[in-house]
Amino acid sequence: MQTHWDVGEPDAPTINKDTEQLKTELLRLNMGPQHPATHGVLRIEIWTDSEIVAHAIPHLGYLHRCMEKHSENLDFRGVIPFVDRLDYLASMSMEWTYAMTVEKMLGTEVPRRAELLRILTGELQRIGSHLMAFGTYALDLGAFSPFLYAFEEREKILRLFEEVSGARLLYNYIWIGGVWNDWTDDQLARVSTFCDTMEEEAKKYHDLVSMNKIFVERTANVGVLSIQDCFDYGATGPVLRGSGYKWDLRKNKPYSLYNEFDFDVPVGIGEVGQVGDCWNRYIVRMKEVIESIKIIRQVIDKLEPGPIMGKVPKIIKLPAGEVYVRAECPRGELGFHMVAQADAKTPYRLKVKSPCFTNVSLLPHIAPGQMIADFVATVGSIDIVLGEVDR
Amino acid sequence: MLNDLVALINKNVPGANAILNQAPDAKLDSSITVEATSIFKVCEYLKTNSEKPFNALQCISGVDYMERMEVCYMLAHFDVNDVREFILKVILTDRVNPTVDSIVSLYPAANYQERECWDMFGVTFRNHPDHRRILCPDDWEGFPLRKDYVAQKNYNGMEVYPDNKMNFEDREFIVRQDLIKKAQTAAATKA
Amino acid sequence: MSTSVHETSSVKEYFAALINGITTTVHGMWITFRYVWGVKHVSIEYPEVREVLPERARMRLFNDVLNCISCTQCAMACPVDCIYIASEKKPEGAEIKKTSNGQPIRLTLTQFVIDTALCCYCGLCTTVCPTECLTHSHDYEFSQYTIDGMKYDYLAPDVIAWRDRIVKS
Repeated sequence: MQTHWDVGEPDAPTINKDTEQLKTELLRLNMGPQHPATHGVLRIEIWTDSEIVAHAIPHLGYLHRCMEKHSENLDFRGVIPFVDRLDYLASMSMEWTYAMTVEKMLGTEVPRRAELLRILTGELQRIGSHLMAFGTYALDLGAFSPFLYAFEEREKILRLFEEVSGARLLYNYIWIGGVWNDWTDDQLARVSTFCDTMEEEAKKYHDLVSMNKIFVERTANVGVLSIQDCFDYGATGPVLRGSGYKWDLRKNKPYSLYNEFDFDVPVGIGEVGQVGDCWNRYIVRMKEVIESIKIIRQVIDKLEPGPIMGKVPKIIKLPAGEVYVRAECPRGELGFHMVAQADAKTPYRLKVKSPCFTNVSLLPHIAPGQMIADFVATVGSIDIVLGEVDR
Repeated sequence: MLNDLVALINKNVPGANAILNQAPDAKLDSSITVEATSIFKVCEYLKTNSEKPFNALQCISGVDYMERMEVCYMLAHFDVNDVREFILKVILTDRVNPTVDSIVSLYPAANYQERECWDMFGVTFRNHPDHRRILCPDDWEGFPLRKDYVAQKNYNGMEVYPDNKMNFEDREFIVRQDLIKKAQTAAATKA
Repeated sequence: MSTSVHETSSVKEYFAALINGITTTVHGMWITFRYVWGVKHVSIEYPEVREVLPERARMRLFNDVLNCISCTQCAMACPVDCIYIASEKKPEGAEIKKTSNGQPIRLTLTQFVIDTALCCYCGLCTTVCPTECLTHSHDYEFSQYTIDGMKYDYLAPDVIAWRDRIVKS
């Protein structure tokens, strides 16, 4: 069997016809697993011709925790803490999708207030996750201070989540049938003020980074992905929207109560660079923050007192069968394929379709012909979380 | 919607033998099963036809039912006007060496998904360009998500599950709980 | 690199790019510069100043053994199996005490150990507790030299002594 350190040297591609005579042996370079720009423990084996990447081969599995195997031995409620740890920057979205999967099989009706609170937390989480993406992306490209500005705002979201659920990162807040705790009016008022400040802050980030000449030079026209590439590789979320395709499950296949809300789906239109490059993927995230703020304001208007937990049996047993549920998470479409057997207290099979896993598979496709520095910018713009890639 | 699709597949792909697995309940998902030998042709038809095309493969999920293996392909169509998705299945009765045709040349997204399926379930994908393990190390033995999987004892000279790192108290606790339960049931039957 | 300005641009474009670079950089630097005065600190000097944790914060677990009825529901709910409980039946004729919310204690608790090194602080055990004796305390500084030190025996006298500090009412 071939081993991963013995892939064999790939053929050198023809990068520039003028310099073909000067073509030399390819150099193998390991980026990661501890490279700061890989957002975790992703190891990418790069074959370079001088400074131009000829091949990039991602090696995954450094954070593999056998979550799918674990969940086969846990009851349906006990899976939620494990699901939290998939995408640890957007735990709310992860557990929300998981809860929707089990609720779909159970046929549980979730109370209206609980659904609205789920949307509230989900959108706050989306802002937090995109702030993290913004901060670390600027960090990858050498700007340190945007990271700190982003963390200042993200801290407010985490504080709210800590007050309402008890934890800052791994919440276990959205339960099967509803949510754990209710939000007080005081907390909701703080969310409103947060929305106001966040709008101003978003403008500030825009001034600070988006149009900065150095940032534009590093990201515009780099790592261009066409819509067809995204479809072929199954890329979703900001990567697909950055390529100019208006696709958002919240709009196109509304789940929860999203059809009651009025918001836009931002797409990359190529104000700078061309559609589908790193800059457009970045700006889609920043615009989504504004859209999320819009949704949060509507949620606060709609909230009315009521129950926050639906009727769920004490010991959950699902009917025999399978479902595939997908939802729009900050990094793309998350899907759960759940197979259950009758009278079993544990899932028979739980497959996680993680958006980052599919987005990572794009890297070998984009990389050839890029500079190493541009490749770092591309990896950052795809915004991966390794907890979700390796599961 | 799936009924039409079954008819379309059977009409256009000879030998596909598509069957609709109607879910007993509206809250569960129905799926379509096709012959394992014709999966490439079915996917080729589904991708390229003009009536009901499916332009994206979401994921490939293997399921081990002990007596058979299933490989589920979640296909979707990303179109603002017509959103559709369904589960396409093949059933593999050979559990020792299950083999299917790879669909990487149709959907490049299948590359990593098929590698994961091979890594976790040992399903071989014919004509896959890069048929390696993806999450486990390359020299790992066994396929972890199979139901009869037992972890190997040694890996590269390292002990797998070393005694000093195992949570034995938990096992003792479970054994004790079982004993208590047995004693209780025995007492109940006596009374 | 991305746009090869320096190879193809005319003199006019070159200067336009230069001015654009200077203005956008100065613009960003001005935003950073405004933080020199008059902006409140967002960080705290940790060991001296401590943040007040929210009411629901989930830190180290504490079990009030005087209220525990050894129902083992917490051990069953735990997704990582880090709670170990043993109990035995009280001898006949023994006095049956009641917990603070009126449940009779029929079993004598002989072991209640939580391996905090395994605990994932998910809070599922506290939600199933019928007498609300198992709670998350607000202690977050409990690093240990050995991994065995992370195992807390809640029947030990020094751990029972935490009760005065943690259990209100």
